Amino acid sequence: MKALGYLLLTTLKNRILSLKKKPALLILYLIIGAGIGVMVIVSVRPGIQEPKAYSDIRILYAIIAGIGGVFLYSFVTTGLSTGSTLFTMADVGLLFVAPISSRKILLYGLIKQMATTFLSAIFILYQVQTIRNSFGLGVGAILNLFFIYAVIIFFCQLLSIGIYIFSNGNAERKTLVKLILFGLFAVTALEIYFQYLQNGGTVLQAVFNLMNFKPFYFIPVIGWSVMFMSAFVEGNVIYLSIALLLFLISSIIIISFFTSGEADYYEDVLRSTEIVYNKLQDAKNGKRTASVRRIKIKEEKTGLQGGKGYMSIFYKHILEKKRTSRFVFLDTYTVLAAGGAGLVCYFMNSEYSVYVVLGVLVYIQFFVTVLGKLSDELSKPYIYMIPEKSIKKVVAASMTTLIKPCSDAVIIFTVVCIFSKTSPFLNLFVALAYASSGAIFISYTLLCQRLFGGMPNKLISSMLGLTLFMLVMAPGIGASIAAVLLLPEAFLFLGTFPFTFCCIVISIFIFAVCGDLLDKAEYTGK
Amino acid sequence: MIEVKNVTKKYGKLLANDSLSFTVRPGEISILAGPNGAGKSTIIKSIAGLLRFQGEILICGKKNKSLEAKRNLGYIPELPALYDMLTIWEHMEFIARAYSLENWKERAENLFRRLELDDKKNKLGSELSKGMQQKISICCGLLPSPKVLLFDEPLVGLDPHAIKELKNMLVEYKQQGTAVLLSTHMLDSVAEFWDSTNIMIKGKIAASRSREEIIGTGEDLEKLFFEITENNKNTKEEVKE
Repeated sequence: MKALGYLLLTTLKNRILSLKKKPALLILYLIIGAGIGVMVIVSVRPGIQEPKAYSDIRILYAIIAGIGGVFLYSFVTTGLSTGSTLFTMADVGLLFVAPISSRKILLYGLIKQMATTFLSAIFILYQVQTIRNSFGLGVGAILNLFFIYAVIIFFCQLLSIGIYIFSNGNAERKTLVKLILFGLFAVTALEIYFQYLQNGGTVLQAVFNLMNFKPFYFIPVIGWSVMFMSAFVEGNVIYLSIALLLFLISSIIIISFFTSGEADYYEDVLRSTEIVYNKLQDAKNGKRTASVRRIKIKEEKTGLQGGKGYMSIFYKHILEKKRTSRFVFLDTYTVLAAGGAGLVCYFMNSEYSVYVVLGVLVYIQFFVTVLGKLSDELSKPYIYMIPEKSIKKVVAASMTTLIKPCSDAVIIFTVVCIFSKTSPFLNLFVALAYASSGAIFISYTLLCQRLFGGMPNKLISSMLGLTLFMLVMAPGIGASIAAVLLLPEAFLFLGTFPFTFCCIVISIFIFAVCGDLLDKAEYTGK
Repeated sequence: MIEVKNVTKKYGKLLANDSLSFTVRPGEISILAGPNGAGKSTIIKSIAGLLRFQGEILICGKKNKSLEAKRNLGYIPELPALYDMLTIWEHMEFIARAYSLENWKERAENLFRRLELDDKKNKLGSELSKGMQQKISICCGLLPSPKVLLFDEPLVGLDPHAIKELKNMLVEYKQQGTAVLLSTHMLDSVAEFWDSTNIMIKGKIAASRSREEIIGTGEDLEKLFFEITENNKNTKEEVKE
């Protein structure tokens, strides 16, 4: 057997055999498989009650177009900065130096990537029942959806590598790629506007009308994927073939570009592979991944601009934030969260949307906070070495993480207030609840570090951490549930206030008790 | 001055440092030598106040975790840990602010010049090679001009110029009365300026020598190291037999 075939098959075999030693993973796979099986059986079972009317199929097409657009944008952007990779560091170290044709190695990478992509798209099969109920599609159409989703990701990854090889170190080519990308989005926007002018109605209706507009089908990735899906649903073999051919021919062009004499993809994928490897290592060590975005340093904007002793940590954090966002605390997350919250409120059109937004954002905030600046600082020796009291350093290192949810809350809940048409008082108290949950999460991080910082067993520490989390959160949640049950309707906007109050009191208590963290904890460098 | 008194450090069941005691006096360069896993980095981290331990460590007469001790302490870790979002000059500013240093700029400029970093002031930590990052880490440790310096494998990854410059700096600090504790495997690199050495094996100090003690004996640091570590190996083999 040739080396690459051996590598692929042996890797696959060992991966399957390794499940013997990882029964939990095996059970998880079996549950996923069984879950998909049950979903498929339930959806094709005869006698199941059909809904009276299905939703407009164009909604599904618009979702596919949206997914295509997001992947196209993100993978092209990645291609312009670091590129994607089909390889691992082991491939770089062992395969690239081996006497094997680079084309064969590329084929090996493509096969491996294709398998990974198809596996990652499997979650779509879980939606069998929902898609069937909403749009009346059969299993065949859902398999097709699964297929086109995997094709979009795979193609975008190829495109990303191709763009990296084409534009790496060449500013003019980078500009050209950007122009083409924005051109594609501009054409899509113009087509929506054209639909709006021609058919009237809302912008959303114009988007749905676009899904039947044939010229739109020829916009790369976004239009091609809609063409493929709609052709399958409508039984249009010609458009189905055209869509597949467009993906296929473009892929062949990109692959021939990799393997052409001019482009040496080894050198190009090396950096991308290293970046991906470092990201994986960081993730394994529970570290946040460092941004690979190139930051231009302007001389007039350097320096901490203030802070002495423990406060230098805070000013350093402010400077770091300025480097990632011009508006310091208002960043892409703020914009995305505010936009998402606005959309939820607009479409839900109910007072409950405010609570839905609060719940989702608090959930996200937990992960952002736990991996926040304090955890970052504890992974470096400086905070331990600064000759100041531990409590002061801990507070200074937590300050930006405490302020960020406050500034986010102002923006997000102003948007929520406008789109949900709910009372400003309700939004004020919900915003306070959001801001205070930031404080409770950071104090929870502090408590965990203080109690389990040096614990080597991750399973025990995470289980204890979960129990601790429940203990920390329970008083606030319980108090708010009680308040909602007891308060008269006119004062229901105060429902989140007990939660806010408990969060603040518990946070202050934890900070006071665990402020000596740096005198007691051990620096592990992780 | 560093005073380590009966320091024991365990990682779970592993005894990393077993009742260690030694002193590094002002103006003395003390070398911590020993094979991998001997516990050198552990004792350095313990002295730096980064680990919990049993026993006592004093820095200039103060407990090592006290603020007074920290003001007198400079630590250069084995692996450079820089902030991705700070330029290297901002690392200096950060240290200056953190240690409330006055008139630090000239000293920082001088450190940068000597380690050939002066043209990279506005580079971010993440943009630098490992060797460059190590240089910044050294600058961060030296900027407060501490009375006690802890180096954990400082020469690894440095270019020959930086190694030469660091050696010169160490001698200068020694002359200024700084107590320097340096862990290294590159014994020939420190042969010309060491004053005392503690050779560690399996968490214990297997031998301690001062330069005066071995002058005229024909021994040098490297010979001493191999003599002690090989002896230890042979003794182990004999016990097995």
